[in-house]
Amino acid sequence: MSVKQWIKERFPIDYDKFVEINERIFIKEPIPNHMKKWFYCAGATPLILFALQVFTGILLTFYFVPSPEMAFESVRHITEDVRLGFWVRGLHRWGSNLMIISLLLHMTRVFFTRAYRKPRELNWIIGVILFLLTLTFAFTGYSLTYNQLSYWATTVGTNMIKEVPLVGHWLLVFWRGGEDVSANTLTRFFTIHVGLLPPLIIFFISLHIIILRLHGVSEPEGFEKGYYPFYPHHFYKIVIITLFLLAFMSTLTIILPPGLGEPADPTVTPFHIKPEWYFFPTYRFLKLVPLKVGIYATGAFLLVMTFWPFIDPLLAKTEDRRRLWAYGVGGLTLIITVILTVWEMMVA
Amino acid sequence: MEQEKQSRRSFLFNLGIISAVFLATVTFIRDVIAYLVPPRKKKKFHKYLVAEELELPVGQAKEITISKKPVFVVRLKEGYKVYSGVCTHLGCIIHWEEDKQRFYCPCHKGVFDKYGNVVSGPPPRPLDQFEVIVENRLVYIQVEEKPGGPWA
Amino acid sequence: MDTIKAQQWLIGIFSVLLIVVLIIIAGMEMKKSREYKPEIEIDKMTAKCITCHEKKGIAVKQIDAWKESRHAVMGIGCYECHEAKEGEFDAMRCPESDIIVGRHPTPKDCSRCHKKEVQEFSESKHAHQFWLFKNADRAVFEFPLATKHGCEQCHQIGNLWPDGSVGECDACHAKHSFSIAVARQPETCGECHLGPDHPHIEIYLESKHGNIFKAKGKDWDMSYSSKEGNPIPIEVPVCTTCHMDGNETQPMTHNVSARLAWESQMTWSFRTVWNEDILGDWQVKRDRMTAICNSCHAPDFVDTYFLTADLVNLQYNEIRREFVRWTKKLTKSGLISRLKADGKFYSNPVLNGWDEVPEHEMYYAWHHEGRRFRHGAEMMGADYTQWHGIWEIQEDMIELITWAAEHGDAEAKKWVNSDHPSKFIPYALYDIPGNVWGINVKANTTPFVYNNYPDYWDRVYKNVEAAYKQGLLSEKQWNLWLKRYKNKDHYMGLKYSADSTWNYYKQRNEYDLKKMKEQVIDFTLPGKPFYKK
Repeated sequence: MSVKQWIKERFPIDYDKFVEINERIFIKEPIPNHMKKWFYCAGATPLILFALQVFTGILLTFYFVPSPEMAFESVRHITEDVRLGFWVRGLHRWGSNLMIISLLLHMTRVFFTRAYRKPRELNWIIGVILFLLTLTFAFTGYSLTYNQLSYWATTVGTNMIKEVPLVGHWLLVFWRGGEDVSANTLTRFFTIHVGLLPPLIIFFISLHIIILRLHGVSEPEGFEKGYYPFYPHHFYKIVIITLFLLAFMSTLTIILPPGLGEPADPTVTPFHIKPEWYFFPTYRFLKLVPLKVGIYATGAFLLVMTFWPFIDPLLAKTEDRRRLWAYGVGGLTLIITVILTVWEMMVA
Repeated sequence: MEQEKQSRRSFLFNLGIISAVFLATVTFIRDVIAYLVPPRKKKKFHKYLVAEELELPVGQAKEITISKKPVFVVRLKEGYKVYSGVCTHLGCIIHWEEDKQRFYCPCHKGVFDKYGNVVSGPPPRPLDQFEVIVENRLVYIQVEEKPGGPWA
Repeated sequence: MDTIKAQQWLIGIFSVLLIVVLIIIAGMEMKKSREYKPEIEIDKMTAKCITCHEKKGIAVKQIDAWKESRHAVMGIGCYECHEAKEGEFDAMRCPESDIIVGRHPTPKDCSRCHKKEVQEFSESKHAHQFWLFKNADRAVFEFPLATKHGCEQCHQIGNLWPDGSVGECDACHAKHSFSIAVARQPETCGECHLGPDHPHIEIYLESKHGNIFKAKGKDWDMSYSSKEGNPIPIEVPVCTTCHMDGNETQPMTHNVSARLAWESQMTWSFRTVWNEDILGDWQVKRDRMTAICNSCHAPDFVDTYFLTADLVNLQYNEIRREFVRWTKKLTKSGLISRLKADGKFYSNPVLNGWDEVPEHEMYYAWHHEGRRFRHGAEMMGADYTQWHGIWEIQEDMIELITWAAEHGDAEAKKWVNSDHPSKFIPYALYDIPGNVWGINVKANTTPFVYNNYPDYWDRVYKNVEAAYKQGLLSEKQWNLWLKRYKNKDHYMGLKYSADSTWNYYKQRNEYDLKKMKEQVIDFTLPGKPFYKK
């Protein structure tokens, strides 16, 4: 026990109290019974994926060089030359895709079980912010590979920002670091991707979890009331998901290794440019309507989605009718999203 | 008896699970380390022409550059010697002093003789040498082959 | 699924799965889309040359070529090859400097490092300026200017330099990248080995070797070294594979004559004696060649192939004997005359002379058709043995004799008037039962000589035996020939019957001919012709 003693003397906290707090907050955290169903714990998946993204992302910065001359070449170097580089890059790339998939699943579940209801409205809004931050992560990260598709996605994507009312031009210049896509854009995207967004998202994730813990998990109807401790059951779930994700993403990397594409060429726009699949609905929608209408409509949709927990009670008086509204709006959104995505996938 | 069997079985089960998780973690860490630490490549050498056999008089040296570092080609009675121009002490560049037939490092007054041995000063070991090959009266050294490009 | 036990199982299973995947991953490697060339050091002297050449814009592309070369990696810069001293034949002072450079590095310069290669080359026929030793040759037929960018360009490969060295290394090793892959490309040999007198690149491209090379060769790395005694790394041979490159049994050589058994470019095909003391006799040279062939082929195929080709060479001599007999006879009888000036002859009835048809035919039957006939047979160029070869030789002969008949030669008149098919074979014959390619059941039922001369094979036997005794065929070849001779019925397919198949095609052939007659032969147009006969 002398080691313990040694530490205690130099780090004089109330050790017993520490153990107690730790037990109360983590080990014995009461988990409601319904959480034994895998369906209800999709919220942990994006968290685990985020942790893995941070890890693989740090690994990638060991070799990535954010300059127009070197970005593509360093990605090639990581993928082809560096031992196991393709694996780390594959994990990061598949991680980003799975993170968005798992967020979509989580949000859909929360929406349809209407877990956003009072008093949890703020947590839904934070959730939407987290989703938007994740999309920003994906967009900036995708641009860093600096191949033809990513270069032109950056160009087109940043051009859209211009349409935002009042501050559009200012935002464009902010994102591009000038009027045009240049070396400044690349370093900016890099800094945003690895420096600005991570603390921001960590802050919101913490907030998300703190609010969740303060309220407790929203319990759907139809389950036997009761709780079980976090450890071991729920802890094991997290271990299983982590192991599964690592094995799954590594396998995906073997089957579909991350590609390189053509190096970015600012003088030639490729014939078929497409954003990543998660931007398909927006992309398709913007093709259907005039740009201004598209931007405003997307903005409006985002606003409705963000403040839905406050809109929902205004729509009907009884819970049953509100539920019907939520199912209707949610179902419609889902169907339109799926249709737009599939449509964009089908056309060349 | 029955209970003992039961507990032994559950002990073995737990041991199996724990070692599987442990091994998975170790493999993962190994792969990550492999990614971070560039492998030691098998060094490939090629001949590099530094002089003709009769180009220099005995006791003279010439300075050439290899991989952006100075290298001294010295003709001695015994034949050619080729030394790295980097002082073995703290990496300063040495000078050849023909009149004294020695190398001198200005940083900490290290002195090497014409054979590369430390005569005085702080250098811990003799100058690094290149392997010299004389073929058809041409003097080559063995130089490590490095790929061009930014990742060499 | 929800018990602790089940979860532990899942943890265990996924751990094992993860281990497996991670181990597979650790063993994988991605295909590289880019390889960096070795870094090069540019020494002070070379840097000086480059700076000035770039400033003045003189031959700057050669600097890029040099940077690609192995020389650049090994510290062989400009001056290592272009060094010169005042007074040397190619010395030149670089303007605005005191650097004296050799404008033309010779094999002597190359031999400072590539001693063995230069030595081997100098012992090869590439280095032999044979045309300078021969009286006049075509120098009377072509004026000097035409030869500068003609003959002399290719024959520069055997240039005799003022410094006493022989050859031109960059004829094949194009400067300044000196790429092995370029030197090895068949088209490099084909810069000179082409055209009517020695269509070697055409023969190669016609052969199975060339065909496969054209189909697949673009993906092959041709820059390999064959010095180390490794197996041949490419699927089919290029020119150098057989004539120069090494394999497990043969060392690489720059002596292209080391593996050749014939002087088959000469007026007569004779067994080579070139540098016998260094290279050994023709059989040793042939063994070197077959050692390469055996990398891919069965020995029996190789030996039979070469035996047939050797008989073609010997047969050529017998045809030539007839040409020589005629030109000599016609010279003697005064029907054709030798060129002469100041008491010196400038043509030769057995070699050249272009102003009279028989001389011309004889020259072609050797220098063009005669070589195509022989070289096609040696290198799998069927069309060159056949239509560009023997067919044209026979026509040369007919034209020669017809000319003699028209000019009053009695023997020639008799030949022209003869209506016996044997008139086209006024010489002795060699032959071999069957061919190297396979057994063709009916092929040997048609030849005129097979059917009309019961002693045909006896005559051939005596000829082949005589050639063997003369040392023109080896004992091994004679035994191989005897084996075929003794099993004629097998090799010629005579003892096999495939009549049902044969009759099937026979019927179709008759039907073809019948339809041809119906469709077009018996067809006359109603409109009258315009010229009245």
